[in-house]
Amino acid sequence: MRAPDPNTSMDGVIAAASRVILGKDHQLRLALACLLARGHLLIEDLPGVGKTTLAHVLAQLLGLNFQRIQFTSDMLPADILGVSIYDRDSSAFNFHPGPIFAQVVLADEINRATPKTQSALLEAMEERQVTAEGQTRPLPAPFFVIATQNPQYQIGTFPLPESQLDRFLMRIELGYPDRAAERELLAGADRREVLAGMAPCLSPAELLAHQESVRRVHVSDALIDYVQALVAHTRESADWQAGLSPRAALALLASARAWAWLADRDHVLPEDIQAILPGVAGHRLRPAGDAPATGSVARLIEAVPIP
Amino acid sequence: MRIAAALQEQFFSWALRGKPPEASPVTLGQRRVYVLPTRAGIGYAAVLLTMLLGSINYNLSLGYVLTFLLAALGVVAILHTFRNLVRLKVSRGRTPPAFAGEAAAFHLVLAGDSERRALRLWLPEGGTTTIDVPARDSADACLRLPTTKRGWLALPRVGIETTWPLGLIRAWAYCAPDMRCLVYPKPAAKAPPLPWGAGEHGGRRAGGQGSDDFSGLRDHHPADPPRHVAWKIAARQGDEAPLLTKQFDGAAASRIWLDWEATPGEDVETRLSVLTRWALDAHAAGLEWGLRLPERSLAPASGGEHLHAALSVLALHGQG
Amino acid sequence: MAKARSPALSPVQAWWLIATGIAVAAPLVPHIPPWLTIAAGLALLWRTALAWQRKPLPPRWLLVLLVAAGCAGVLWQFRTLFGQNPGVALLILLLALKYLEARTIRDGLAVVFLAFFLALAQFFYSQVIPAAIASTLGVLVATATLLALADPRDPPLATLRRAGVMLLQALPLMLLLFVLFPRVQGPLWALPRDANSARTGLSDTMAPGSISELSQSDAIAFRARFPDGVPPQRQLYWRGPVLSDFDGRAWRPLGEKPQPRLPYTEPDAGGIDYEIIIEPHNRHWLFALELPGATTAAMLATHDYQLLATEPLATRRRLAMRSYPAFHAGSDEDATVRRRAMFLPEGSNPRIRALAAQWRAQARNDDDVLLAAQTFFLRQRLLYTLMPPLLGEQTADEFLFDTKQGFCEHFANAFAVAMRTAGIPARVVTGYQGGELNPVDGWLTVRQYDAHAWTEVWLPGRGWLRIDPTAISAPTRIDLNLAAAVPASDPLPLLMRVDLAWLRDIRFRWDAVTNAWNQWVLGYSPARQRDLLRRLGMREPDWRSMTATLAVLAGLALLALTAWTLRQRRRRDPVLALWERFSHRLGRRGLARRPDEGPHDYAARIATALPQAAADMRAIADLYARLRYGPATTGVGTGLDELRRRMASFAP
Repeated sequence: MRAPDPNTSMDGVIAAASRVILGKDHQLRLALACLLARGHLLIEDLPGVGKTTLAHVLAQLLGLNFQRIQFTSDMLPADILGVSIYDRDSSAFNFHPGPIFAQVVLADEINRATPKTQSALLEAMEERQVTAEGQTRPLPAPFFVIATQNPQYQIGTFPLPESQLDRFLMRIELGYPDRAAERELLAGADRREVLAGMAPCLSPAELLAHQESVRRVHVSDALIDYVQALVAHTRESADWQAGLSPRAALALLASARAWAWLADRDHVLPEDIQAILPGVAGHRLRPAGDAPATGSVARLIEAVPIP
Repeated sequence: MRIAAALQEQFFSWALRGKPPEASPVTLGQRRVYVLPTRAGIGYAAVLLTMLLGSINYNLSLGYVLTFLLAALGVVAILHTFRNLVRLKVSRGRTPPAFAGEAAAFHLVLAGDSERRALRLWLPEGGTTTIDVPARDSADACLRLPTTKRGWLALPRVGIETTWPLGLIRAWAYCAPDMRCLVYPKPAAKAPPLPWGAGEHGGRRAGGQGSDDFSGLRDHHPADPPRHVAWKIAARQGDEAPLLTKQFDGAAASRIWLDWEATPGEDVETRLSVLTRWALDAHAAGLEWGLRLPERSLAPASGGEHLHAALSVLALHGQG
Repeated sequence: MAKARSPALSPVQAWWLIATGIAVAAPLVPHIPPWLTIAAGLALLWRTALAWQRKPLPPRWLLVLLVAAGCAGVLWQFRTLFGQNPGVALLILLLALKYLEARTIRDGLAVVFLAFFLALAQFFYSQVIPAAIASTLGVLVATATLLALADPRDPPLATLRRAGVMLLQALPLMLLLFVLFPRVQGPLWALPRDANSARTGLSDTMAPGSISELSQSDAIAFRARFPDGVPPQRQLYWRGPVLSDFDGRAWRPLGEKPQPRLPYTEPDAGGIDYEIIIEPHNRHWLFALELPGATTAAMLATHDYQLLATEPLATRRRLAMRSYPAFHAGSDEDATVRRRAMFLPEGSNPRIRALAAQWRAQARNDDDVLLAAQTFFLRQRLLYTLMPPLLGEQTADEFLFDTKQGFCEHFANAFAVAMRTAGIPARVVTGYQGGELNPVDGWLTVRQYDAHAWTEVWLPGRGWLRIDPTAISAPTRIDLNLAAAVPASDPLPLLMRVDLAWLRDIRFRWDAVTNAWNQWVLGYSPARQRDLLRRLGMREPDWRSMTATLAVLAGLALLALTAWTLRQRRRRDPVLALWERFSHRLGRRGLARRPDEGPHDYAARIATALPQAAADMRAIADLYARLRYGPATTGVGTGLDELRRRMASFAP
């Protein structure tokens, strides 16, 4: 049920990427799963841990074109989406596509932009098209947005509201590299050079075929029961302010399919759900007032038996 | 009277097996489910006794059969009623905050392996609710409790009872899940208008970044949405004139401070109540507002979360 | 705390109550006055119409008026308000009127409780199997109504099903209670006069026509079982009331005080043992083959060898008996008794009197007279028929010389009169003759149409001898049965007709079932209870030991029921069941699966803990994961077998 020569290429992507992003295999896999599940990724971490590099590596290895948008507070929606400019020569409006018209878009420090600009980006992400001046322009396929957000509360930032967070399939944290990886980073060659010398492992067409085969990964009734039990628990428990939405449940299944596919399986296991659950549910669940914020997803996994 | 109340208290602490509140989820074990006949059940027993006497007197063998069948049915009803309650899992649900004077809504999540029918939950001085729990699923029961004071309101002992299926037997149990509801101060009914003078940045904020009211024109930037270009002016003035962009103001976005010191009222509760009303008004007006209490203050902001944070501070003022 | 008002009845609950009323009252319709049936029906219809149109119920004063009118009606009908029949009538009246004021759940409960009483009231009239079935249906609907009163949301069929299930679950405990609940012989207080009225059977007088009445009834008189084989039909004379007192038209018993013992001594040999179950007939009489051996407790005997019970037979009575068919008693009969057995009113039956004088003149002894009489009966070509012509004053004369058609009472009457005129002591014995062997259960059934009358004459040195004059003229009556003896044109009860073989077969089966029902359900008396318990091994069954046993067994039954109702097992994936059993097995080594642990995680943990079995464990977990979570195309059946095999051979 797999496209020819599947995982060698995907494993190759991971192997190659881990030469640049050191000691972050799990996060790499999650990012790839997110891409394969046609979702968008939110990376929340401190500056300097390699967010931008990760986006770069993925674009490079998958042979996708890449755009980076550095968000600032004076940014307007048109700065991202593009604008129609009146061309006096032809006396007509010409649409100048914004930076969003790329296959991999890195939206850096998205929380620096005003909510209006943020929502322009997020709507385009969701619909995979840009509507301007009454005209709809599709975004390229595959289309993958990696947004980064600085977790620290700073003056002049606009943290993404929950409704917007829901549009990201996953949110991951990179974290500091472990000692060995950091040593290698310090001692080794400049990552940028390594990155520049990398050849694509996949063509965009192959990637699209993989995305299609991910959709066909089997999900059994027992597993749907499990997802439902997890979602029901979040809705009823007092540990969170609000439960997971049906869209979140679909996101769980889609991500778990991609995770299973990456593990070379044609069906999803409860472990797949558990592996992607922190990434998919973490940013969608806000702990209730008196519940501890950390480890809430781990408590969710513990609380719900596998049916 | 006092002795009766003390005895009752004694019974409850015994019935709850340990000091309430209990950690969630609470499973109603067999030892804490009590079973007694209802008034109808006592009537049923009396009917059976009469039937037995009649059967003996008239030597009605089938009378014995019928009487014993109904007696056995009563016993089976005990089992069914007991089973309808035993091993029910009660866990904490949501408890949205309430304003003092309103009813606090405690949500309990009931779950069990088998189907449960017509469970009635009640609070000693609060509402009751009746609920079914489907097999291998859960149901959300909402119990309302009137509130009087701000601060944390703990869920008192909850009674769960059922007379299903025959109504002859009543099985009940008590549990006290560890739940509490945050009660905001009661908003003052008659509060002075919002203290505009106390705002640091009183008055309108300039900027023209809204989209509601037209406020002027400025030079055109390439990134401005074409909708906002003042085409009429451009057409009137001809090709040489630069394009202008229409500017709009947002809703009268303003910043205001709600200050404890500036709040009228003799006692703490009145002041809190006025502050609560102001916070609600400021939120409803879409203002950016801050709150300043003697021991802590909240920076001006807007939105539901900010309101919740501020009301929580007001609710817990002076309560640690 | 203020008493909460009972909630109002919903329309669904009102329908259920109406159904209950119909289900329990319908079987009682034949037993209550027609006007009450109509009144109750109208009340139900009224209530139904009100329920249909959702209109308010009638005002209370009207109901009070109706109750008063109904009570007056019952009083007028039965002349009393107390007793069984007026009681049932009042119950139905109350039920019908309770409907018209049933507004709340509590009223609904009252209706259901009344319905339970009415389900019991049926048994006053009949305890046959159909009555039990009718009552069971009533109880089923009433139970469903209880369910609906507690929770009216289920659809009617689901409610009925739940009621049925609960009643089935109640069966074991009911059986235990029935067998072991210490029985008390009723009545606890004096029964009202009308209890156990209206039973068919023999009467204690015999006039022409009194027995032929019974020949149309196929009701069962009694059943008997002979462990050593049924004696020949001609020996089956079941002795009932003995009639010696003759007033010229009717025969009556002498009415002397019965004694606890028979007046003769039991012979040493020739006894036949049998068991007999007599249907209740509200008389003291017991029936026994001639001649019975000895009396037992609660049994008396008349001087003319009839067995009597100390109390009237209000319930079915089971007796173990021994009889001596070849035995004649009374050779030392008292002279007064003999004299009374020769009494005839002045001027009765002159023609037979003249003839008897002739016989006496020609005879050397009583034996010759007897022979002459029998010969005369034979020569007269008397016709045995169920429809004899009416007779006048001199019944024996007219039967013997004019009409020459008669039933057994005519024969017995004429023969006894003839004997008395000839100076031989004679008396009429009534009872039953013959019976029908049921091949299904081996019980001999004696019905009312087997009722018979014959004569006994006393000969010096020989005692009382049975002479059956019917046998002289119509021997087939004795050798076969009534149907064979009477002309084909005579109307016979349906069950006697020989041409419907299939019907007879069904009847035999039904009889066997009824007999078992009678013995084991209806006849389960204190005595039978003790007997059964003794046979089951209880040494001294008294109420204490019975209650103790009942408590123990009921406790066990309850435990079993509890276990059954608390059983949480549901239909589960067999793969999952295997997996859980496997995890449980590993649990004994402290390696149980955590509830939130997936198969691969679990396998990994086991592999670390039991490195020697790591490969096996991974294979099992892989297979399990594929079977449970994989696409259905992988053959589940074979996969399941393989999983079972692998798990069985998994030995870490």
